[in-house]
Amino acid sequence: MTECTGAGVPAGFPASPREHLSSPVTRTVLRVQHRILDAAREYLRGEGFTELLPPLLGPVTDPGGRGSKPIDVDYYGHRYKLMTSAILYKQASLLAFDRIFYVAPNVRMEPPETATTGRHLVEFHQIDVELAGAGRDDATRIAEGLVRHAVRRVVDELPGELEELGRDVGAFTELLTAPFGHRTHADAVAELHGMGHAQSPDAEIDWRAEVKLSGKASRPFFVEDYPKGSRGFYDREDPDRPGTLQNFDLVAPEGYGELCSGSERESAYDRIVTRMRETGENPAKYGWYLQLARDGIPASAGFGLGLERFTRYVAGLDAVWQANAYPKLPGVKSP
Amino acid sequence: MTALQTSRFPEAEVRDRARRGAAAVFPDVAGYGRTLYGSEPAERSDDVLDAMRLVPPVFMPQRLEKLVELAREPLYPDVDLRTTVGGFAAPLPVYLSAFGSTQVASADLGVAASRQAGALGIPMVIGENVVSAGGYRSSGGAQRSLLDRVAAYAEALPAGLGGLAVQQSTEDADCEVWNLVYSDPAAQPLLDTGRLAFELKTGQGAKPGLGGMTVLDGSAAARVEDLYAIDPVFGPGAGRVLRSSSPGTFTDEILRQQIRFMRNNFPRARVWVKLHPGRDVREAATVAWEAGADAVTVDGAEGGTGWAPTSFLHQVGLPLGECLRRIGHHSGCLLVSGRIWEGARAAKCLALGARAVGLGRAGLLAVDEDPDAGLLRMVDCLALELRLLISALGKYAPGALDAEDVWSAATVRPEGALRVG
Repeated sequence: MTECTGAGVPAGFPASPREHLSSPVTRTVLRVQHRILDAAREYLRGEGFTELLPPLLGPVTDPGGRGSKPIDVDYYGHRYKLMTSAILYKQASLLAFDRIFYVAPNVRMEPPETATTGRHLVEFHQIDVELAGAGRDDATRIAEGLVRHAVRRVVDELPGELEELGRDVGAFTELLTAPFGHRTHADAVAELHGMGHAQSPDAEIDWRAEVKLSGKASRPFFVEDYPKGSRGFYDREDPDRPGTLQNFDLVAPEGYGELCSGSERESAYDRIVTRMRETGENPAKYGWYLQLARDGIPASAGFGLGLERFTRYVAGLDAVWQANAYPKLPGVKSP
Repeated sequence: MTALQTSRFPEAEVRDRARRGAAAVFPDVAGYGRTLYGSEPAERSDDVLDAMRLVPPVFMPQRLEKLVELAREPLYPDVDLRTTVGGFAAPLPVYLSAFGSTQVASADLGVAASRQAGALGIPMVIGENVVSAGGYRSSGGAQRSLLDRVAAYAEALPAGLGGLAVQQSTEDADCEVWNLVYSDPAAQPLLDTGRLAFELKTGQGAKPGLGGMTVLDGSAAARVEDLYAIDPVFGPGAGRVLRSSSPGTFTDEILRQQIRFMRNNFPRARVWVKLHPGRDVREAATVAWEAGADAVTVDGAEGGTGWAPTSFLHQVGLPLGECLRRIGHHSGCLLVSGRIWEGARAAKCLALGARAVGLGRAGLLAVDEDPDAGLLRMVDCLALELRLLISALGKYAPGALDAEDVWSAATVRPEGALRVG
């Protein structure tokens, strides 16, 4: 009997923790991931960030998107959530330090259909970064610097591991030497329409579309200015361009897709409440956060870089579960 | 049959149809050959739709087209009632409206209704607060959870027909009903066949501007007091309290963005929007269609299965006929409900721009009359009447009906053209 069961188990998914953890590939991938984390911490420390340890539970969490669902837990008779992302706490943390980051575990019940995308895990980790008094350009500069520094260290320090994994370091030449690209969501949609892909102009770039755009690129690029209605209430709406959010995704080349999402944040209380309604949320359940916002939180920008996705890209893996020691695929019963 | 009762609704007629089926479309056949039939003087009605008549013409070019197609004179069985309802294929322009979490619908009736709606292949809406009131999964013998209804409907559903729309209110958003359904393996067959919709509820016909209301006993109220307004309106010794949901705050931008957010988050589900009969119903419907809603449902002030203040039942909200008049010509999918139980009222709604009509109280009564086949028989009646009426108008599809097919002394006419992109 296997210990991992479900309709959507992809080929190659380990039948047991023993099989996965004792695999030479897993060990090599986790060594690469360890180096990425080390480099990320080094880079962020150098940029003046303080690492905080994130909360795991709260009365609310990031409501998320694309059909994923937070997990409820009974907290002394109250319904609490495991963190889908600690975005609300990131904003709160700026009351203590101007620049913070977490290496944060996140849990999202993704729709079962995502088990075979190669890009979705129920449990995953983000390098979560937030900067007070910053704009989107500050956040993308840090994201770009962090990615480049981590790739540089892996390429320089773990050539044997990359070779073992069959990863050609030539794939990183542009990443290491040229600025990342920038394009708007509207441009990405137009390009997709030109490729015959029916991408909604009002929605996030869908997974297949993202793979297409990513597959055409030779270096990472930012997609900016997503339309309101495609993202959570905390992404700041451009006051000069209503309907457009001052946010971004960072997309890896070679078909690996999105690594990171970020934005300038809404920090004004009335804007946050209004945006909550626009995303169908009941403000009542965000009591502690709204009180904080009413009393004042710093304007900020930040991002979350998916650690397993980043590792998958650097190591050149087929699927993101290979970059997690205890992978849980959507809809698949796993230990 | 239970002690389910209605007020201001032709309950006896609906129960008769649920018992006897198509025979109930006609006068008692025992009187045939002995009774002289004919129109009775019209009763005065303050209902816009009741005051209208369907008016067949003498000249029928569409009947000629059908005659050419068939190479024989067309008859009422030649009316093809099939249509699409909010993105779902339906055998006739009828769907089962949401019953909500009110006491009358929360027992086994909800599951029995789901089973019969599934067997008919008609789309069905599952109401708000079913999860917060009855739970998501069954926890014991009582079948009252949302999944029980989903399973009963899906198991009986023929291939290629029907679809399920799951409502979510402001409080349901706390329970993340849509996320629960979207990620549940039990809902995957419906998702995989394009037969799942989510309905954003902005209000209801029985109490426009208010949220859902139920009456709870004290212990049940204590369990939900964090989520709802609890009001001891029935007095300190009554042992029962009023529980009110929030109606939710909407502006045009909030509605537009919520719809876009639904499309973004649940790309494999259809998006329906339910409007109460507000005076700006035309503007709200237009915003919803333009934001990409697959269907807009309007619940007339005469609709509603649930508990509501008397003042609202009698004096608040636009009647369905006026909603249809205000919305006027449009190119979206408009679904309407409000005291629908027989074919003539349904046909008038279709003629005034609705794509399909919803059965609320009538559906619940029919299932209450016979949990195995009451709804099947009542829908049989509706189908027969629609065929008779549509063919009498010289037409052979529900979508062919238009405003010329109805008349009233008040010469009600739709307003000017409305284009929806």
